[in-house]
Formats: sequence, C-alpha cells, structure tokens
Amino acid sequence: MTRTAPFVLALVLSFVVQSASAQDAPGEPMRIRYIVKDVPASVAFYTGQLGFRVLGQAGGSFAVLARGGLQLLLSPTVGPGGASRPMPDGRKPEPGGWTRMVIYTSNLQGDVERLRKAGVHFRNDIVIGLGGNEILLDDPSGNPVELFQPG
Amino acid sequence: MSADTVNVRYMVGDVHQSVDWYVGHLGFSVQLNAAPAFASVERGALRLLLSGRAASAGRPMPDGKLPEPGGWNRFQFVVDDIAAEVERLRGEGVRFRNEILSGPGGSQILAEDPSGNLVEIFQPAAAFAPAR
Repeated sequence: MTRTAPFVLALVLSFVVQSASAQDAPGEPMRIRYIVKDVPASVAFYTGQLGFRVLGQAGGSFAVLARGGLQLLLSPTVGPGGASRPMPDGRKPEPGGWTRMVIYTSNLQGDVERLRKAGVHFRNDIVIGLGGNEILLDDPSGNPVELFQPG
Repeated sequence: MSADTVNVRYMVGDVHQSVDWYVGHLGFSVQLNAAPAFASVERGALRLLLSGRAASAGRPMPDGKLPEPGGWNRFQFVVDDIAAEVERLRGEGVRFRNEILSGPGGSQILAEDPSGNLVEIFQPAAAFAPAR
C-alpha cells in the first residue's frame, strides 16, 4: 500500500458520488460489492461483456461501474480499501460464493450464445424455473452473475 | 418493475426466517412470499430475491456443486449514523463479522443474515455525502 492510495480512492469516490447524484437523481443508486482478484481485468469484463460503464477507477485498488440503477463496486482481495482488510478472526475476503446480481434480459438464448463465443464460463445450462429462465456465469474471479428472462 | 430496480439473489437456509430478518431488522417489505422455496423483499430500488434449496436457483450444478449461502459479495445498506445503526442492530441480536472500519469514502461494517450472508452497513464520509 502506498501513501497516495487513500488520496486516490478519495478522489474516485468524490467523482462517483457527484456523478451519481447528477445522473441518477432523484433515486439513489443501489450498490453491491464484489470481491475480485484483479480490478482492471474485472472492469474489462463487465464493460466489454455485460454493458457496464466506468464511473470511477483507482488503478488496481478499486473501481465503480454502473448499469441501469445498479452500481457495482469492485474491491480487490489485497488493497488499501476497507473491504480488502481481513476480519478480526483472520478470515480474508475472497471472490466466489453464490450471492449475485440478477441481470434481466429479453433474449436469454441469444445472450448465452454471444457470451459463450466470447469465452465466458457458465456454471450451468439454462434452468427453466417457475418465474422464468435463468443461467449463471462466472466473472474472471469466479463471482457469479445471473442472467434471467422472465417467463 | 421500474427500469432502475436492482435485483440481487441471496441463497438462504430458511426462507421464512430470512424474510423475518430483512423485514424486522432492515425495513424491507415483502413483495412475494412463496416460502419455503422462495420470497422476494424490497427496499427502495433493491429487490432482494431469497432462494431456498427448493427453489429453481437451489438446484445443483451439472458438476454436482450445490448453491449455498455465505461468501463475501453483498449489497450496501446506506445509513446516516453507522454507530447508532450498529448499536440498534446489536441490541436486536444481529451478528457482525467485523468492527466498524473507516476509509476515505466512509465507514462500513459487515452484518450477517441468519444464513451467514453479508450485508454491508455503510455511512458515506461527510465530504462525499450527496447534497439533499
């Protein structure tokens, strides 16, 4: 960690809050946080494959992306930010698990074909559920993203 | 559904218990309760989908892996006074995974729902709080 890191983070957050209040008023943005192995690789994935835009980025230390009313905070496993610190019992934040954003689509089959061609890894095949059809893909760190088409 | 509604899915051990927790402690309202398989609760722009083992989201993957609660990904629950909020929640028996951390953007702490899923309680630093 460098001495300048908190300052850079503060600049990014300042920018993010200003842009959020200007663009997304009157509703406040809903934020979720994913723990990632590599912030730049994750930014490239979410912007290139899933239609997010970058609101702010502090190099490899932190990034905030947006898509609709969602802001996605990307925090690395090691970095100056609070979300990267280990717990008092020693546990360390890591990517993975099953908690995920759900991205609605009107063309699930088409999206899956496009993403498979782009080399995106899926955990399963399209599941037909009661409320619609869904599938789980992995981001570059192994975090899940759900694509959902209402039935 | 509003175009700005954000949908987040949590796997939970007990859907009834989870609904009670999010409604009772964090002020969500029930949108749909199909327990024990599934429920959805809402607060502001967030729709939180709570899926149990019996939901379609609870089915095993082709390689046999079973969806389960836990991990580190979470939604942010933004508050004006994190110390007061944590005191209230502790008084109600809510478990926390760490203590309040202060960073350049604000203060945060990680609460655990009854299944061990995280909720990040977050207070923006005064300098960055949006003008109201």
